[in-house]
Amino acid sequence: MAMDRNRLTFAAVVVGGLLTTVAFVLAFFVAAPVLANNTLTAGGGALIGGKLITNPVLFSQKIFFFHVPVAITSFVIFFFTAFYGVRFLMTKDKRFDTKARIATEITLVFVALTMITGDIWTRYEWGTWWVWEPRLTTYFIMMMLVIVYFVLRASIEDEERRAVYASAFGILAFLDAPLSFAITRIVPSGAHPVVLRAGGGLDAVQLGGFLIGLAGMLCFGYAIYQLRIREETAKERLEVLKASLEG
Amino acid sequence: MAETATAAPKRSSSWRQFKAILRKDIVMELRTKEMLSSMTLYTLLTLVIYQIALSQSGSGFDIRLIAAGLVWLAFVFTSMLGLNRSLVHEKDQGCLEALLLAPVDRPVIFFAKAVGNLIFLLIVEVVTVPIFAVAFMSGRPIAGPFWMLVLSAFVGSLGIAGVGTFLATMAVNARGGSFILSVLFIPLMYPALLAAVAGSSAVVLGGEGYAATFWQAVGMGAGIDAIMLLAVFALYEFVVGA
Repeated sequence: MAMDRNRLTFAAVVVGGLLTTVAFVLAFFVAAPVLANNTLTAGGGALIGGKLITNPVLFSQKIFFFHVPVAITSFVIFFFTAFYGVRFLMTKDKRFDTKARIATEITLVFVALTMITGDIWTRYEWGTWWVWEPRLTTYFIMMMLVIVYFVLRASIEDEERRAVYASAFGILAFLDAPLSFAITRIVPSGAHPVVLRAGGGLDAVQLGGFLIGLAGMLCFGYAIYQLRIREETAKERLEVLKASLEG
Repeated sequence: MAETATAAPKRSSSWRQFKAILRKDIVMELRTKEMLSSMTLYTLLTLVIYQIALSQSGSGFDIRLIAAGLVWLAFVFTSMLGLNRSLVHEKDQGCLEALLLAPVDRPVIFFAKAVGNLIFLLIVEVVTVPIFAVAFMSGRPIAGPFWMLVLSAFVGSLGIAGVGTFLATMAVNARGGSFILSVLFIPLMYPALLAAVAGSSAVVLGGEGYAATFWQAVGMGAGIDAIMLLAVFALYEFVVGA
């Protein structure tokens, strides 16, 4: 069983690496530019926010193939913080708390990547580093919640209590994630583009590249998570061994 | 028949327990006046800070643009002070442990503490709003009817008191209690606070279609309250015993 998981982790790293590479190649060399909020017009311009934009479509939109998969992965992994939080509260099994903590760690990595790639794009496309726009704001709040999760953990000494509080807070914190995910649909006036929607205008190559990138990122997320779990399990076993030697 | 006979006293005893805990908090407050006085004083000092912040804004500046936000800010700060206090009392004197030892349902403890905190927060709000109006609004009227303001204040305060009581219960058991409370509270309450400010601001500013904006914000606030309160209600049992 443990052996299988190790092989699966290794496979996830390889597949993740391959898929993200394929996605990048597709994004940069094959796929046509992705027009955010787009309706292509005959003149080659695009309707963005109801205005006709005839500027040449910037190379910067290629970040779509990286930024969006990373962001979706961060939501998916954050879900496991809440999921293992619930599992922990149901069973009081310490392993679930460890899993929730590792999932939150990996969430933070992907949130940071999303923030960095998003900001680079924002600076280029919108001309500012930051706007308090619904999607950006709710995502920023989500990042704060993820960081605060660790602040909470660090401030509690009792192990059992730390696990219970962290689980409870993880569940509450995750409530922001669906809001952040859906906010561009709830508040369509926001500046953040909504590419993935019915009639969003992605052609087969664009959609394929995006989906391959997403699958790759999910594989990476899974692999990093499993590797960290392995590290933690080994660490715990070491502690037990140490204690038994001293004992 | 036998079932209803056993069920009926249990329900009434939950209600009695709720009343007993709430009465304890209120009686203690009436005797010490500690929470209300410190919360009110803190709000007044927050208003002084506003005066400093706005001192260079000139006479042309329309305070109404940010009035609702400023008032909610004062509420948030003072409620964090009050929430922390209300649980620190319980903790310091071993009262929380005694409550947990007593045959009281955990949700009853949560409801009683949350309602107590809501009452104190509402009292502070009733004191603060007129002072803010006199000190900063200088005779500018609010555009909408007053009851709308009351409604949005109530919806916002409900969330603050409920979620705040839950988080304060965690924070008293953590190192650096009040700091932990504020870092947990602000990001978690962000959507609710945004809805509260949007609702109140619509009433203060008025303008075309303000009622629609108001109802949308209050509806959203109430929805967020419902989700958050259900979640903390379900989780309280685990947290308070840990």
